[in-house]
Amino acid sequence: MKTKSSAAATFLKQNLVLCGIVVLIMVTAILQPKFLGAANLTNVMRQLWPLPFIALGMTFVIIGGFIDLSVVGMISLVAVVTVSLIDPLGQVGAILVGILLGALLGYITGTVLTTCGAMTQAEVLFITYGMSSVYMAIGLIFTNAETLRIARCTKPITIFNALGSGTVGIIPVVLIVFVVLLVIMHLFHTKTLAGRAISLMGGNKDAAYLCGFNVKRSMRMVYTISGVMSALGAISLVSRVTTATASCGTGYETNAILCVVVGGTTLKGGKGSVLRTMLGVVLITLLGNCMNMLGLSTYMQTVMRGAVLVVAIWLDNRKEL
Amino acid sequence: MDKAAEYILEVKDVCKYFPGVTALDHVSMSIPYGVVYGIVGENGAGKSTLMKILSGVYEKDAGTVIFNGETVEKTTPIQALRRGLSIIYQEFNLVNTMTVGENIFLGRFHENGGMRGTHKKARELLDSIGSTISTYSMVGDLSASEMQMVEITKALSFDSKLIIMDEPSSSLTSEELKKLGEIINQLRSKGISIIYISHKLDEIFEYCDIVTIMRDGHVIDTKPVGELTRADMIAKMVGRTIENEYPPRAHFVGEPLLEVRNLNTHKLHDINFTLHKGEILGLVGLVGAGRTEIIRALYGADKVRGHQITLGGKPVKIRNPKQAKNAGMALVPEDRKREGLILPFSVESNITMASLDRLTHMGILNRSAEKDIAQRQIDALAVKTPSAATKVVSLSGGNQQKCIVGRWLELGPKILILDEPTRGIDVGAKYEIYVLMNKIVEEGGAIIMISSELPEVLNMSNRVLTICDGRITGEFEPEHATAEEIMDKAIG
Amino acid sequence: MKTALSKIWKVISKQKAVLAILALLLLMLMPQTRAMFYSSSNWMEMLRSAAILEIVAFGVTVAVICGGCDLSVGGTLCLGGIVTVLLINAGWPIWLATLVALACGALVGFVNGFLVVHQKTEPFIITLGMGMLLKGVCQQLTNAHPLTSTVPAFMKISNGKLFGSIPLLVVYMIVLFVLFFCLLRFTSFGRNCYAIGGNYEVAKYSGIKVVPIKWTAFIISGVTATLAGVLLSSRMNTGNSVYGDTTGMMVNCGVVIGGTSFAGGQGGMLESFLGIFVIQLLSNCMNTMKVDGFWQKLVEGLLIVAIIGADCYSRKRKRERV
Repeated sequence: MKTKSSAAATFLKQNLVLCGIVVLIMVTAILQPKFLGAANLTNVMRQLWPLPFIALGMTFVIIGGFIDLSVVGMISLVAVVTVSLIDPLGQVGAILVGILLGALLGYITGTVLTTCGAMTQAEVLFITYGMSSVYMAIGLIFTNAETLRIARCTKPITIFNALGSGTVGIIPVVLIVFVVLLVIMHLFHTKTLAGRAISLMGGNKDAAYLCGFNVKRSMRMVYTISGVMSALGAISLVSRVTTATASCGTGYETNAILCVVVGGTTLKGGKGSVLRTMLGVVLITLLGNCMNMLGLSTYMQTVMRGAVLVVAIWLDNRKEL
Repeated sequence: MDKAAEYILEVKDVCKYFPGVTALDHVSMSIPYGVVYGIVGENGAGKSTLMKILSGVYEKDAGTVIFNGETVEKTTPIQALRRGLSIIYQEFNLVNTMTVGENIFLGRFHENGGMRGTHKKARELLDSIGSTISTYSMVGDLSASEMQMVEITKALSFDSKLIIMDEPSSSLTSEELKKLGEIINQLRSKGISIIYISHKLDEIFEYCDIVTIMRDGHVIDTKPVGELTRADMIAKMVGRTIENEYPPRAHFVGEPLLEVRNLNTHKLHDINFTLHKGEILGLVGLVGAGRTEIIRALYGADKVRGHQITLGGKPVKIRNPKQAKNAGMALVPEDRKREGLILPFSVESNITMASLDRLTHMGILNRSAEKDIAQRQIDALAVKTPSAATKVVSLSGGNQQKCIVGRWLELGPKILILDEPTRGIDVGAKYEIYVLMNKIVEEGGAIIMISSELPEVLNMSNRVLTICDGRITGEFEPEHATAEEIMDKAIG
Repeated sequence: MKTALSKIWKVISKQKAVLAILALLLLMLMPQTRAMFYSSSNWMEMLRSAAILEIVAFGVTVAVICGGCDLSVGGTLCLGGIVTVLLINAGWPIWLATLVALACGALVGFVNGFLVVHQKTEPFIITLGMGMLLKGVCQQLTNAHPLTSTVPAFMKISNGKLFGSIPLLVVYMIVLFVLFFCLLRFTSFGRNCYAIGGNYEVAKYSGIKVVPIKWTAFIISGVTATLAGVLLSSRMNTGNSVYGDTTGMMVNCGVVIGGTSFAGGQGGMLESFLGIFVIQLLSNCMNTMKVDGFWQKLVEGLLIVAIIGADCYSRKRKRERV
């Protein structure tokens, strides 16, 4: 009995932020019965995107012991490129090229990092920020800072429509796509050698290297995953808002990091899981939603998110091994 | 009054315990004014621990320390300095990015009248020991001997009555060493006592008045230098081995397995050696002599200028640890926690991490095979762990080490490289590791072993190479050679 | 001969900023831009536009020299301006409003210091999060609209010229530069900062109070950033939550470009000044060459990657020496 209660205490200590948010949501649910109503939940499910995709990619980067600020640039660039390619290539071609572009951009970031030998989080942080500016600038030059609308495309845009507002029963299509992807990525992380190599690299780069793992390849891999996920995120974003601008990715990097950290994946690297990140995504989105319901401004939500991020990192740092 | 009865420093029955290890066991020594007092001992004899207690980095667990007639209970490094006890570590305690003058008066900028006053006083002090280093040059740009001068000047700036020098000569050229000797004599004539810690016995004989020999946390003997010979000293440092501390030596040496030719890096020069099947090859040398560098270069973990490796008669190329692993090598690194284990991970992941690529079919891991391996190694090596899922960080040092060894045994390596395999491990676990080593060679593997504990190498290896300053200086068969001979070569 | 050359190279490579300035000046020799670029009014204008970033950089440099880093300065800068304008509009005297803003900056620095120095968290991500938090606070305070000051006197703080030719902002910058230069160079606080960044353990064992001093460095960084924010708002006569969006990253990169390393203990005010100046010079020469704003962003990004990457690469080469 005693061990059970201490286990509960440990869990509470390890997931303080998570528990806090759960409590907050419960309080909101009591104060605002509409909060858990079908209308609101459908609304939340629609507004969720593209954060889950980005957070999914970011999880791998953070498990690998790094951080990726270049998602902003990648989302923006992929979004504008994809939309502008619908007419020349058709929707399928555009989406495929978009995903390939995301993979390429991520691979470039990873290669730049391994070539420079960036090892500390500080170095990675600045270089990925620089890469982000570069990608975004390319997007700006490409579009001349104009807003691209998918409605103006002459070719069919059925896939985008389906991702943006289509549902199967009451479940949005994009959610189904995402869940499939989530399962695949979770299996990739837990069942494959490459996935394990990422965890081991995050746990201890030197030990993994001396055990015969190719740390540089794993590093490039996590950034490529992040790139692909950013591309998918960009496509889901474009589908939802039906426009693309060369700065549409702004802000997603910190939100993604927030979801990952709140989910309980440590910034020190090694430990974590994509499922926990999804918990983080759901909680952060619900947190935003419940602040909406309580009548807080969107700006206060930014404040809350910043505060939660700082507190989550602080508590994460205090956690023992 | 009898001057000899007055001591600058008296240490009485000082003890210090670390988890699982007694670092100092009732150590006593008395250091008179104005002498150079040598302390010798092997790596891990407790010299550095004692010095750290004196300077206030560690706290003692028992005993008394009387400095300059004043009993010192607890101290901090800065208090010790202000009291007049300075220590010059092997790795210099200087801020490389600051100037010489500021380093001398680090943390005392204000009380010395700002930048100008600091440099002026630093100049005076440097002049007083006849040094011509500019007080405005950056410490990072200085040579090792110049840094030492700065350290000595820093000690003088505190009006030190006792200066401890920990391995002062390890990075000096012979020319620079001569200068150090002059300064030591100069300090002694001023009535300042010096504790001189060194492996290099020649220096001890040249500079010291009295010498204390330490081994395994005990003081073995204290005598005026004149009453000791070099041979006596080595004999006392090495000591006699205790019976039954080691299993009987294995004898399975077969045909040559690995040949290394012309291995060169920036620290190693023309390393050539051969390893035989079923052999335990010991590498002996002081810390920093290049032992670890040799095996890291061999394993592909460090870049090399050039080398030829022949494995089982065929030339092989090893540029990274992965190729080394595929060639049948395995490395148990020196720093268990930093390079060996992934501390927040489970025992299971730590054991299986090297064999994962063999458990993979089309990129998919075989989880049940992984569990089997972990359990098999836990059973085979008797790793004491509550379960395979326990985090490796919570295990004792010995069991952690077994996890790393088990990780490699699963692959059945042809060559197992053990770097300090028994560091920080209690006696019982050590014995188990020794037995394990014998079993590995019995099964046809070969072992390269590095250890700072000479008796361990001597009792375990079939052959010993001594290494000094990045060169192989001698080859011995420990069954026939004496510890003294080997130590002599390793010291250089 | 060879040693002399290598010595010269050593000096130059330490001063990456000097090198970069030289390169840009060469670029400027291109005839079509030369005339415009070398006019004195252009230089003065360039100094003025650099002033805000420079002032922020002065404070950040202190934190970086201590071995820290402060990415929250963008948010702090923004907050400083908005708080001041809000209070002035509410009828407070300008000096008091400014003082309150500076106190806010000190508070931000205090919290950063607590988390980074006392709790030993990684400074980069935590200050990034702090910047995001502050941005939200700024948006909340202004409702994300520009907030114009209703008191004309406020504008006079930074818009005006000394002796009819030197912009006041440049004067402030020079005064602060001298102040910080002396602080780092001639006070025991400054020298202790270098010692802490250079070798934390040695500093601790030398009896330097490492925690309070490093903590103070973060407070200084916060206060300076707010001060810059007040000046910027005065210059624009507006408090705006979009100010300082890229400041945090640009300033920290500029500091590194100058030669102040994140490893700590290196660099100084002059280096930081030059580092930021290079960034400003770059954007200025792209302006005079009529380079499109998007291309400027591209060059900026490439510059960050190149400079920080080169820094990493040199460390990697050192690590992997054969």
